[in-house]
Amino acid sequence: MRSIRGVALLVAALLLVGATAALAGETYPAKPIQLIVPYGAGGSTDVLARAISQVAPRHFPQPLVVVNKAGGGGIPGRVDVVKARPDGYTLLFGWGSGEDFVVPHQRSLPYDPFKDFEIICRMSVHSIVLAVPGSSPHKDLAEFVKWAKTKEYVTASVSTKGASVDITFLLFGKAAGIKVTTIPGTGGADAVTKLVGGHVDFGGGHPSEVLPHIKAGRMRGLAVAFEKRDPSVADIPTFREFGYDVVTAGSVKGVAAPKGTPKEVADYLARKFKEVSEDPEFHKIMKDLGQPVMYQGPEEYMAWAKKAFDQYGESIKAMGLETK
Amino acid sequence: MVDIGGVLQGFAIALSPVNLLYGFIGALLGTAVGVLPGLGPAATIALLLPVSYKIGSPVTAIIMMAGVYYGAMYGGSTTSILLNIPGEAASVVTCIDGYQMAKKGRAGPALGISAIGSFIAGTMGVLGLTLVAPPLAEFALKFGPPEYFSLTVVGLFLATYLSGRSVLKGLIMGLLGLLFASVGLDPISGAVRFDFGNPNLQSNIDFVTIAMGLFGVGEILINLEESGTLSLVTTKITHIFPSLADLARSWWAMIRGSVVGFAVGILPGGGAVIASLVSYAMEKRFSRHPEEFGQGAIEGVAGPEAANNSAATSSFIPLLTLGIPGNASTAMIFAALLIQGITPGPFLLKERADVFWGVVASMYIGNVMLLVLNLPLVGLWAQLLRVPYAFLAPLVGVLTLVGVYSVNNSVFDIWVMLFFGVFGYIARKLDFEPGPLLLAFVLGPIMERSLRQALLMSSGSFAIFVTHPISAALLGVGVLFVAGNVLRRRASQG
Repeated sequence: MRSIRGVALLVAALLLVGATAALAGETYPAKPIQLIVPYGAGGSTDVLARAISQVAPRHFPQPLVVVNKAGGGGIPGRVDVVKARPDGYTLLFGWGSGEDFVVPHQRSLPYDPFKDFEIICRMSVHSIVLAVPGSSPHKDLAEFVKWAKTKEYVTASVSTKGASVDITFLLFGKAAGIKVTTIPGTGGADAVTKLVGGHVDFGGGHPSEVLPHIKAGRMRGLAVAFEKRDPSVADIPTFREFGYDVVTAGSVKGVAAPKGTPKEVADYLARKFKEVSEDPEFHKIMKDLGQPVMYQGPEEYMAWAKKAFDQYGESIKAMGLETK
Repeated sequence: MVDIGGVLQGFAIALSPVNLLYGFIGALLGTAVGVLPGLGPAATIALLLPVSYKIGSPVTAIIMMAGVYYGAMYGGSTTSILLNIPGEAASVVTCIDGYQMAKKGRAGPALGISAIGSFIAGTMGVLGLTLVAPPLAEFALKFGPPEYFSLTVVGLFLATYLSGRSVLKGLIMGLLGLLFASVGLDPISGAVRFDFGNPNLQSNIDFVTIAMGLFGVGEILINLEESGTLSLVTTKITHIFPSLADLARSWWAMIRGSVVGFAVGILPGGGAVIASLVSYAMEKRFSRHPEEFGQGAIEGVAGPEAANNSAATSSFIPLLTLGIPGNASTAMIFAALLIQGITPGPFLLKERADVFWGVVASMYIGNVMLLVLNLPLVGLWAQLLRVPYAFLAPLVGVLTLVGVYSVNNSVFDIWVMLFFGVFGYIARKLDFEPGPLLLAFVLGPIMERSLRQALLMSSGSFAIFVTHPISAALLGVGVLFVAGNVLRRRASQG
């Protein structure tokens, strides 16, 4: 008798659980959320997305799944998000990178970085480090420039064409009076591999991409394109310290959803990502990665992004790099 | 020199219950598809791709897929010996002497020696992988854009050259593969190509879609035509364990097969099929009784079966250290790894030692599993052949449809897959092998990217491909190989 009652109770309990689950299904998020990273695995954007998805279970009721959609200069991944259903289950991770702030000044894209996305928040800003292979004889930027001036041109591996690293190195070439040929690839990890292998004269990327290799002696950081030294690579001087006015907003890592995503979903996401940005474990992971946590909410980020966008526009115009 | 810590870590990973289970499933599935004619390892891995994303851990997923690949090498011999139908391409030569042995009532020893040969070769292959891969990964850093371009050119050329009977047809399929690979956004600047105004084509054609179409759907269509019943060698299979005399005769054939297979497997475009052909030719030349070849010589079974297994293992070396898949099956595993967020290449060993050593260790274990699985179960595998294709075909068909749809939740992808299914069917009817197309599809973006990067480095000069020593050496090997083959063909014709 008792066992039958037990079974009945169990069935009732299961039904109840089922019913609540069904009810909960009405509210967002009812299934895993995809974070589309438009670059290859192992680059700084990818690593940041994975760090977030690692601590996400404490803040989101559903997992955040990182999906790499690499290649094509970061464009295909963005096109996928623009085309996705605006239901909050497909998000772009990395909005604010060169493809959003830099490339639009140079050529037309199959999307508008501001009009086709719902901006959610900013998570981090990555400075840009110029580095040479570990086998290179050059110990600082001044020495390197002196050597580069004797060459017809120097090559630099960069993540993708038109991305912030690409533009920064071209800016540097202009400022230092050397001819720089940038070699774009599939993303930061690809660029770093070419640099470590010594296939280019210089290269670099964001601190999280170059730091492990600098520590291992496989490359040497010469300069950072920031207003002041980046705390994650504090012993690398800025370009300004050598007298070159190469300052950029860096590469910005924000989250965006397809245009038309409901306001309550966007607000929910912004709130949850803010929680993540305040999580002590997340801060610890980010410190190990060499990435600063720099959260901004939707309005604040939008205003900041417009300024960064215009700043890149001016640099590109000054260099005569528009090809539109 | 051997990273003992890494190997031990690998065993710890491979011996975890989940990985053991998936390794076993992979090996079992592999053996089964090896036995079943008309469903090769490439098609099976294609079918498993969507499942692999859901498994979660990338190590587990690749352990399973690797199991399918080398498992198929074990199983492929069964139908060759019993039916004179190769279970998959790498067992074609096994038909020659294996079937003759079976007709003479020696099916047991033939099946036994191929399982033992496979085990010895598999184990030697993994041992070689353990020793060779780490230094090679270090060497791989010397590969920049010009080296990668030459490597992909040579690899693709060898693959198309060696894949089928007609070089021209292989080349045509390879070129078509490159063409399909260029649909969508270009790999350097992101410009749109060949989209015909259709936004679905702006993001490049998905690998899973094209692989499932060519291999999954294409094979179903081809097999539906051959609905005739199969005639099994019905004599009772006895003496699975070969006699001492058989073992003595096959011993060196197995060792030679393992070594040759290993070497061929490392080459881009190499792989199990070529390895088995090379080994057979070599055994015939080395044998003291060459007249027995074609009449049921046990070395003619032992050598090629060993070769295809060690080649299957060693083809993981370029995949894991250079990020260059050498054949259709490893191309599928390459794609699966990328989707799991792991980039195979020089840094894999440094950054994801768990993946690298986990997979290597799982191969040691997998080989033991397969030996245990195969020796006693040969009779059972033969029973599997009695499943009517009428049941198998719809099942595979549904799996491909669901699988492709589940990748991007896109109905458009289903149409693309069906297009490639019909395309693959027509191509096969006309004797065009789909393998080179798929391989070119995977290598195409790497090739184009490295070509353009190399030309940026050299400021437009093609001399960069010959002034860089590794690149020049690779191209030289390719030219020598092709020249050698052309001369030999001439000689055999004239």
